[in-house]
Amino acid sequence: MVAINVKNLTKKYRVKVKEKGLTGSMKSIIHPKYKEITAVDNISFSVKKGEIIAFIGPNGAGKSTTIKMLTGILYPDKGDISVLDISPTQRRKKLAYKIGTVFGQKEQLWTHLTPYDNFKFFGAIYDIADSDVEKQIEKLTAIFELDDFINTPVRNLSLGQRIRCEIVASLIHEPEILFLDEPTIGLDPVVKENIRTLIKQMNKEYGTTVFLTSHDVGDIEKLCKRIIIVNHGMIVMDDSMNNLKYNYLNKKIVEIKLKEAVDFSGDDGITVLKSKSNNLKLEVDTCKKSISDAMKLIDADNIIDINISNVPLENIITDIYKEGRHIN
Amino acid sequence: MLTAAKQQTKVLFLSVKYNIMREMTNHVTFLMNIIFMVLNNATFIVQWLLLFQLKSDIGGYVLSDVLILWGLAASTFGISHIFFSQAFKLPYLIMNGKLDSFLVQPKNVLLAVISSGTNTSAIGDLIYGYIIILIFRFSLYNLLIFTLVSILGSIILTAFGVIVGSLSFWIIRGDILSQNLISAVINFATYPEGIFKGVVRLTLYTVVPVGLINYLPLQIVLNFNFTSLLIIIGAAIIFVALAFLVFYRGLRRYSSGNLMISRI
Repeated sequence: MVAINVKNLTKKYRVKVKEKGLTGSMKSIIHPKYKEITAVDNISFSVKKGEIIAFIGPNGAGKSTTIKMLTGILYPDKGDISVLDISPTQRRKKLAYKIGTVFGQKEQLWTHLTPYDNFKFFGAIYDIADSDVEKQIEKLTAIFELDDFINTPVRNLSLGQRIRCEIVASLIHEPEILFLDEPTIGLDPVVKENIRTLIKQMNKEYGTTVFLTSHDVGDIEKLCKRIIIVNHGMIVMDDSMNNLKYNYLNKKIVEIKLKEAVDFSGDDGITVLKSKSNNLKLEVDTCKKSISDAMKLIDADNIIDINISNVPLENIITDIYKEGRHIN
Repeated sequence: MLTAAKQQTKVLFLSVKYNIMREMTNHVTFLMNIIFMVLNNATFIVQWLLLFQLKSDIGGYVLSDVLILWGLAASTFGISHIFFSQAFKLPYLIMNGKLDSFLVQPKNVLLAVISSGTNTSAIGDLIYGYIIILIFRFSLYNLLIFTLVSILGSIILTAFGVIVGSLSFWIIRGDILSQNLISAVINFATYPEGIFKGVVRLTLYTVVPVGLINYLPLQIVLNFNFTSLLIIIGAAIIFVALAFLVFYRGLRRYSSGNLMISRI
């Protein structure tokens, strides 16, 4: 079952261009010049029901624009969008009953009200009967552990508590799809982990489809089984998390503490990332040189300590951003 | 259809209730805002008292007519700014991409946006309007007529605010134009209609519809005329329809934004 289907989606922005200084301002009054920026460039993808998908990319890649078109906030210039078989541009209200949104950078709760009052207000917005809202609040309060602060005004809550409330507010009408735009931005590691567990739980227990954008690799690694990477408005990669790791984990990081210095310059397949006295950090390209071959270059007696690890996912993603290559 | 309208109204009143609750968070500021607005409006009585010392008739208005005009202008402004104050901040909301949270709700976007804030001092304006009518033209009948035309005037004023505010969807810094037009309505609303002639007068019934918001309603309060009432009702319907049309057309051009914001 397909939850989201996007075909040839394009969105352009018209931006005014102004020359420097006051003269430039005067000129732009008489002869305004504009340039067109393609925020989303002919992208197509689909998401299955119950999937947790990461939609990532560097700043200005077109992530938020895409999520805003999927939720009916922005009108696309070209292309077709179908979310739960509903067109967000034509049936925005109908779609709104079936989706939930959390924008980490934008608050939708009333800060002077308590979370409880906010949830009641959201219940009214989604036309839910009072008794049903009460039940839903009770259920979500237990899952998201809001008991201690459900009657405290939102403005007095910590950021982590507030984000939990934001997510609960977006789940009050039991949406089939949850759009999360950087939900863990600015949170400490413990709270991040907590939020991730809760999102996973929602997905597992209620089959909620989750469409996530985040700059936090931890969010992506711990939540998502599929990843779509966008850059310059185009999809540069659409693959499973396992494939991503498999294809890109041909490089290993080797950190060695030696008794005596060893020179690796000129060795094909080995890159010295850091060298400080007898401590070395190497990157070994296993396509060119196996780890065992690399290790043979060092006398075993010369090694005090060694650690071999995968290249962090963050580095892999950064490389993909930089390369901007099409894989799918 | 009826259920949807009922649900929409429920949300609208909940929104206004929460807005006022927010303003009441600081009781002293809340009360001071209201009291000082009543006093602020009252100071203009002195100005008109002095002018009417020099001339007994200004533009066909006597002192009590001008004061009722003031009362009507204040109550019209008051109602629209208590219920729909964000209609007058539309350019700011559009330019800063602050419509997002309303667009993901299954309710009418325009109503949700314009009712998402209130103006405390507008309560003072509304109270001032009723003080004036109670002092200068007290009767139950006059109170009802005053209330009716104030509501109609506030609907036209709000719709006008939405129409000119929505220009920001098309015009960069459209806030300046809309602010000037709204200020023109408010400024003209407190002067006797008779002092304006020709093109200016025509403008006051079209581009800057203060004639429909205040002058014609004043005539109804002073001397009830069913035709004038029908004209105002018709104008209110046309302005509201235009407001929805322009706003929703403009919404297609909405470009959102990425500013860090909170609903405070």
